[in-house]
Amino acid sequence: MSHRDRRLREEIESHLRMAICDRMERGESAAEAEANARREFGNQGLVEEVTREMWSWIWLEQLWRDVRYGLRGMRRNPGFTAVAVLALALGIGANSAIFTAVDAILLRPLGYRDPERLVVILNHGRGPVAPANFVDWKAQSRSFDNMGAAEYWTPDFTGSDRPEKLWALRVSADVLPLLGVPPALGRFFTPAEDQPGHEFEAVLAYSLWQRQFGGDKDVLGRRIQLDNRNYTVVGVMPAGFRFAPFWATHAELWAPLALGPRASKRGGNSLRVFARLKADVTLEQARAEFSAITAGLERQYPGTNRDQRIVPLKEKVVGDIRPALLTLLCAVGFVLLIACANVAHMLLARAAARTHEVAVRAALGAGRSRLVRQFVAESLTMAMLSGAVGLLLACWGVRAMVRFGPAGIPRLETLTLDWRVAGVTLAVSLATGIVFGLAPALHASGLDSAEGLKEGGRSSSGAARQRVRGLLVISEFALSLMLLIGAGLMLRSFVALQAIDPGFRPDHLLTMVLSVGGSQEAASGRAQEFYQSALERVRGIPGVASAGMTNHLPIAGDLWGFPFWIDGRPVPHPGEEPGGAFRLALPGYLETMKIPILGGRGFEAGDTAAAPGVVVINEYMAQRYWPGENAIGKRITLDSPSSSKLPAWLTVVGITKNAVRSDWAAPPEEEFFLPYLQHPETMGHYMTLVVRTKRDPAAMAPAVESAIWQIDRNVTISEVQTMNAVVEGANAEARFNMALLAVFAAVATVLSAVGIGGVMSYAAQRRRREIGIRLALGARRAEILQLITGEGMVLALCGTSAGIAGALALARLMAKLLYGVPPVDLLTFITVPLLLTTVALAACLVPAFRAARISPVAALRQE
Amino acid sequence: MVRKPPVYRNRIELLQGTLDLLILQTLQWGPRHGYGISQAIRAGSGDVLRADTGSLYPALHRLERAKWIAAEWKKSENQQRVKVYRLTAAGRKQLLSERSRWEQLVQAMGGVLGHEPS
Repeated sequence: MSHRDRRLREEIESHLRMAICDRMERGESAAEAEANARREFGNQGLVEEVTREMWSWIWLEQLWRDVRYGLRGMRRNPGFTAVAVLALALGIGANSAIFTAVDAILLRPLGYRDPERLVVILNHGRGPVAPANFVDWKAQSRSFDNMGAAEYWTPDFTGSDRPEKLWALRVSADVLPLLGVPPALGRFFTPAEDQPGHEFEAVLAYSLWQRQFGGDKDVLGRRIQLDNRNYTVVGVMPAGFRFAPFWATHAELWAPLALGPRASKRGGNSLRVFARLKADVTLEQARAEFSAITAGLERQYPGTNRDQRIVPLKEKVVGDIRPALLTLLCAVGFVLLIACANVAHMLLARAAARTHEVAVRAALGAGRSRLVRQFVAESLTMAMLSGAVGLLLACWGVRAMVRFGPAGIPRLETLTLDWRVAGVTLAVSLATGIVFGLAPALHASGLDSAEGLKEGGRSSSGAARQRVRGLLVISEFALSLMLLIGAGLMLRSFVALQAIDPGFRPDHLLTMVLSVGGSQEAASGRAQEFYQSALERVRGIPGVASAGMTNHLPIAGDLWGFPFWIDGRPVPHPGEEPGGAFRLALPGYLETMKIPILGGRGFEAGDTAAAPGVVVINEYMAQRYWPGENAIGKRITLDSPSSSKLPAWLTVVGITKNAVRSDWAAPPEEEFFLPYLQHPETMGHYMTLVVRTKRDPAAMAPAVESAIWQIDRNVTISEVQTMNAVVEGANAEARFNMALLAVFAAVATVLSAVGIGGVMSYAAQRRRREIGIRLALGARRAEILQLITGEGMVLALCGTSAGIAGALALARLMAKLLYGVPPVDLLTFITVPLLLTTVALAACLVPAFRAARISPVAALRQE
Repeated sequence: MVRKPPVYRNRIELLQGTLDLLILQTLQWGPRHGYGISQAIRAGSGDVLRADTGSLYPALHRLERAKWIAAEWKKSENQQRVKVYRLTAAGRKQLLSERSRWEQLVQAMGGVLGHEPS
């Protein structure tokens, strides 16, 4: 018992003693007096308890009371409360999720030391560069601390229990050190190891180390087999390290590049060049120096150094995704604003309804600060409730984004809900609660109590409040319209993307990459026999209609380009010769893909090394280089006229329809097909099998795999997927953006409709008496309908017009996301406002009908 | 036969918020202990108003905490320790403002009730 408690008991006991004394003086017996005094006093323990609370928990107690009061108020109005809480929760949830994505993908620095000083040098800012250029740039430039090059590599990892095809990079000795991330175990390569004949060292990614070696610390010095050669493990990178960040992002192994004799080649672009700017050199200075270097090299070796660009690494990583994320960020921001506006509606409506109550309470002695605190506690209760639901939604949202997000988004898999982000959003909603809870509270508690009581809540301030609510509705509609137009544009461009004819039939196609690097088929000359017998076996499987092979699938696979020279035409300046994407094919590929042959023929079994060289070109190439002529029978060569070698001429034997090469929506470009059997040396250790099935292609995969393993169990099979999945993947980002925007727009529209419906029904309520009088004076119900609806439609139309202006700005931001639809698309800009206006009309009609049904007698008699 | 005490018939529940005013008003005439205050309210209202101890003591302690009243332990006539409350300067000001509020309320209520046909 504390001192204060003892004192309290003493005080109460003295009270009782005095009461007993008084009663005894009035003639009661001692026992009677004590019993009566105690009865009159009541429950002594309870009195002590409530009194004690005055000292200790008064603040918390009141807060709890306010919260309970707020909850009670919310229960009284469950529909509106549910909508407001859900709206706010959606706003908070969507914002936290999208902010998390923006933070992780756009804002968070790359996982390297001083990542803002890292740059990448690419041909046209996109493609790989030639080895000799890299060597010259490295020798001549002074702007960089370090410069290195990386090349894509997909070796077969064998010699363990689980052979697999790896994604890997061959990197020059400078690349890993310049990133500034030390290895978790071991070391990087030395420049001496970056030489042909000494390059058999490997640095492993943490994930590969865990998967193949179970995280064994003794992995250093272990021998591993890559493409049937022995490599020594010299290092392991820490968990979470990934390189390169914008391409080959799945790489799990790094081995020396060892350019060797390739260092003097100015063709065969295959290197991505990475460099670290010196601390005192700006990007502009580096670019100026670099363009001087490339200009000099261009004079020395014409056609080799045009449009080589330095791009900040971060820019390269996030540049493509930025417009989409910023659009989504705008969209969720709008949803939150609309949600806040809706909550403001609700609080304003309640404040209006409670003017009377507040006046009474103020008159009965409730302090101004007490009233304000109560109002704020109520709105905070709602905001907190919304925040809790919103965070739940955000967790789900982030998980859904990781799961369903398009594969091409960098760093998406690293996404986890950021609590700072969630906190910021929660703060926004709390601020909404405070502002819109405080304003009416201050106003109401400042009211002259007599006025508040007399007017019964119908004070002139109601009109001002209605104006605020009108403004809120207008902004809700403006924001909703912007979102709807954004969603509409995305939908239109998605439809346009879906309508693209890829030039082949993606249905019923099963594809997989067969890699022979780790088997005895890799020996020279054996691979082609293996591919041919594999095709024979696969064609024999019941349910297979046809089968073929190519080096790289359209869309999913790599794209190899090659220059060519046309027979009988003047030799162009170096660097200006025509070029095209080339694919190697085994007979049956074009037929299996159903790439239509417009003229001539496809490949036949007779197109072997012994037969004359042939080539099949696409329609675009035929029209571009032989306009108005028949390209069939013309000859091209891939051998440069400047080389000493005699050109091997290839006769055009067929023309195909244009097919998608790698970018789904890119306009057609030159593409030509060569028979694999005439160029087996061009390919590495793998080919892509394409099977057209009569049944569900995915279900056929095990049968096809086992048919291949019957020939050789050491052949690795990877990237088993249907062509439909490949096509879907190509459009995943557009689909993702469209789906998200559509959801946000739908939420916004519903919220706006609820908002305008609420405002109009409140307006109708306020004008009950007026409507009653009008009806009594002979107004027809249709006129009342018109009166209420008209007022709402003015707000909706104001909002819609403002929204069109905003949507024009938003559409410009979205221009990069759109395909086949102009940002200012008339169809969208006309139908969407009409749609929204219809929704508004429907939302206004509900309270309008209710108002028109008012009985004039009842309305006039009321109050 | 048990006779019901007549005082209970005319009792009116204290309006919320008015107890503070009554306590402050009672202390205006000099320091009193809790029992004295409850007796004074009862007597002053002609036995109509009674301050329930479950409200009185929390109110006293609340007012003490708000520094509108101050408390002191003293010896009573029969040499027993009692806690005696007195009005502070802040309490005097509070009393004035609560009084004027109350008058407003009475006026307002009168205004509203006055409209009723009777």
